[in-house]
Amino acid sequence: MNDILSKTDEIVKKAKALGVDEVIAKTTFGRYRQVRFSDNQVDITVAWNDYVTDVALAWKKRVVATQIWNFKDVDANLKKLLDLAKVSKENPMFGGFAKGNFRYAKSKADKKLRDLENLTDYAVEAINAAEKEAGSKTESGGILFTKFEDVYLVSSEGPVVVDSRSAIELSIRAFSQREASGHGVECSSTLKDFGPARAGKKAGEIARLAKNPRAGDEGVYDVVFDPLIFGSLLAVWASMASAFRVMVQLSVFVDRLGKEVAPEIVTLKDNPSAYSLANRVFDDEGVPARENVIIDHGVLKTYLHNTSTAKIFKTETTGNAGLVVPTPWNVEMNPGDMTKDELLKEVKQGLYLTNTWYTRFQNYAKGDFSTIPRDGIFLVENGEIKQSLKDIRISDNALSLLINIAGVSKERQHVHWWGEAEPPSLSPYVLIRNVHITKSR
Amino acid sequence: MEEDIVDYALEYAKGKEVEYAEVRAQRQVQERLMLRSGILEAYVSAVDSGFCVRIIADGGIGFTSTNKWTREEAKEIVNLAFRYAKLANRKEKIVFAKERGVETKWTVDQKEKMEDVSPEEKISEFVDIDKSLSSCGVNVVATMSSCTIDLISKYYVNSEGSRISSFIPKIGAYVFITVAENGKTEQASEQFGYSGGWEAFHKWKITEKMIHDAKVLKDVITKGKAIKPGIMDLICGPEVTGIASHESCGHPMEADRITGREMSQAGRSFIFKGGPYWIGTRIGSDIVTIVDDPTIEHSYGYYAYDDEGVKARRRYLYKKGIINEFLHNRETAAKLGTTSNASSRSVNYDREAIVRMANTFVLPGDATEEELIEDVRYGVYMKSFTEWNIDDKRFNQRYVGREAYLIENGALKHPVARPVIETTTPKFWTAVDAVSKNVEFDAATCGKGDPAQGIPVYTGGPCIRLREVYIK
Repeated sequence: MNDILSKTDEIVKKAKALGVDEVIAKTTFGRYRQVRFSDNQVDITVAWNDYVTDVALAWKKRVVATQIWNFKDVDANLKKLLDLAKVSKENPMFGGFAKGNFRYAKSKADKKLRDLENLTDYAVEAINAAEKEAGSKTESGGILFTKFEDVYLVSSEGPVVVDSRSAIELSIRAFSQREASGHGVECSSTLKDFGPARAGKKAGEIARLAKNPRAGDEGVYDVVFDPLIFGSLLAVWASMASAFRVMVQLSVFVDRLGKEVAPEIVTLKDNPSAYSLANRVFDDEGVPARENVIIDHGVLKTYLHNTSTAKIFKTETTGNAGLVVPTPWNVEMNPGDMTKDELLKEVKQGLYLTNTWYTRFQNYAKGDFSTIPRDGIFLVENGEIKQSLKDIRISDNALSLLINIAGVSKERQHVHWWGEAEPPSLSPYVLIRNVHITKSR
Repeated sequence: MEEDIVDYALEYAKGKEVEYAEVRAQRQVQERLMLRSGILEAYVSAVDSGFCVRIIADGGIGFTSTNKWTREEAKEIVNLAFRYAKLANRKEKIVFAKERGVETKWTVDQKEKMEDVSPEEKISEFVDIDKSLSSCGVNVVATMSSCTIDLISKYYVNSEGSRISSFIPKIGAYVFITVAENGKTEQASEQFGYSGGWEAFHKWKITEKMIHDAKVLKDVITKGKAIKPGIMDLICGPEVTGIASHESCGHPMEADRITGREMSQAGRSFIFKGGPYWIGTRIGSDIVTIVDDPTIEHSYGYYAYDDEGVKARRRYLYKKGIINEFLHNRETAAKLGTTSNASSRSVNYDREAIVRMANTFVLPGDATEEELIEDVRYGVYMKSFTEWNIDDKRFNQRYVGREAYLIENGALKHPVARPVIETTTPKFWTAVDAVSKNVEFDAATCGKGDPAQGIPVYTGGPCIRLREVYIK
């Protein structure tokens, strides 16, 4: 047992000695680096070195948590936390932390990302690729972010496990004109699979096509979604699969288990596997993280659970325990059998959308919402991109969009962007019929 | 918080060839309560503490932070910030607008100290909200509530002689409810925020407000009618006025958007040099004055000095319908040839300070709410909103009413189910022909920054009347 794991274990032992029923301690050493750029120049380079131990404990079904930043403070912190538990209120639905000794996949973190210091060159590579596509007057902005975390988890209920998690991601938005932009992302858990120029090229291509936009028109359209914007929708649906969100009616999936919620071509999974930015081998209870099929050929198969929500729903945990509530890690949509071009050819009069932001709901249970496409917005006629558009909004329903999926591409891209496509996903191009578009009057 | 380590880090940074250096330390005593349908899911109690270094060298910026309080660590992060600043290799060198060093201390008082209120009392107050909702005569099928308490101490020093200590307690609450009637659901959420002590909880009257919302949602389901789309008058209640002020005035007036630094994430602005809108351009009717003011005592967005050590003041953003003054930090101020107006804020020691709003609202007029309504032949009174959004240039926005009523011949009629205004920023503010006397505020958490920095703000204003806008 290495030193940090020993110290984490000591926290658990000390808590048990104080009389707590169950306790989990998770120590994370995080090393994060970021370059932010705009107008083709680096604005700021950032480094965070963080260390924290998250401690969650239960005493007579009272659940309390704290964060410890210094191992010297352990005794005082634990005593304070137990005192808090003793005056706290019982949660009759608390089902305990996961019990057992599990087998875990081997961590495949890329140590090169731990030692990477100069990120500027990667950002420059992306900026140059965008400029090559969209012209010398292109203005690009974005971020390059790296993460390397060593995570040590010890639970009084059995799990003792260590993981390393690495990630590198680039997000670039290129402007070829004031109102003509494209956005590209490149996400990977390893440096060898990371190609910043790919993101720059895509942002540049879209920015070039997006030149001279005219205001779009209201109406009902068949829409081809790029992987980046579709990643935002995948994030919406996967988040709504969290059992906690179902319980508080923040989901269109309430009372729909076992029911058809999408056509047969739709299979949606949560899978934090090695390639993903969200790679991990265990959840916050120490349960092995795994692939879970949320929607199987159109049928809603499971919600995402921790041990407590699983007991409420009379099922098993899915390995999605977050600190308090279950959460998706990395969403995957199964590939279809069409190409991007074939999907576009299905569209007689419609749109090709590349990115969105500001997704907000009127009613999560019903699913009514709107979101604002940004960057390349294109009018498609008879399978061809005819005109760049601007100033439109998708005003529709989260369940209707799922039901109206009419085509899925073979190609998929690992996407993540800011809070808009979060959690990350493996996202295809997708054709959705009858999407409602509105605009300002 | 070990101020000697902060001072050491600054002295060490000043020993290098830097144009500017600052060290900002923050300690936050945190409490979090989270409840589902009146059941306490978790109670989190923690203390977070660390410091950051920001350096300008060769016209580039390096920023590093740590939560390890040692001199060795301080030295290491200064070295790294310095190296990163140099690596930027910028053609256009970054400079900060001039400011004089300030030595001061400021604090916000708590009438009822947060630490004097027991955890049991805090829990029980939130459990009681749920109990009251379950017996209010409305079928509230789910609730979720949370409370956040942060006792924030900061210590800020920079190479120009500033040395500022501060203490600000912040308390926030959030309640989300779902009402079901006749097989249909409607949802509402409310956010509350205050700088000060536990006295805030009593001022908020959360239970009263949530029961009102529950009854409104029931009425929307059982009595609400859709509005026939068309041109009509619209009265916005303070909550709707506030969100519009925040989204289509505060955000587009952030100078880091205007100068392009936020181009990739939060976006740019419809206001830009050489474009149709700039300082001096009309954007609304002459009775529209929107300010952003961090100096409102006990407001959620209160601060006396910003996170670059600049003294806070009221900013007149749209003044009598004219674009008047952008929100600046020292970097954007230098770029646009002016001085900072203290809009630089950071949520914690591990985030750079960026341009942010504080409390953004429309200044009051001289009409009463009744007078606004009396003079409407046909229209909608949108008192609160549910879904909303705006594009990243802050031009095309949409607000969907939650509590809304039809107005006919100067009188309020039946509830209107989810009326929508979807319009542009100049159309919205130009349509305003009357402003009421009373200003009300709502707490919000403004999102910006990468990594995200959700920052406490107020949005607000009086009732405003818009003439002849399209409602659907």
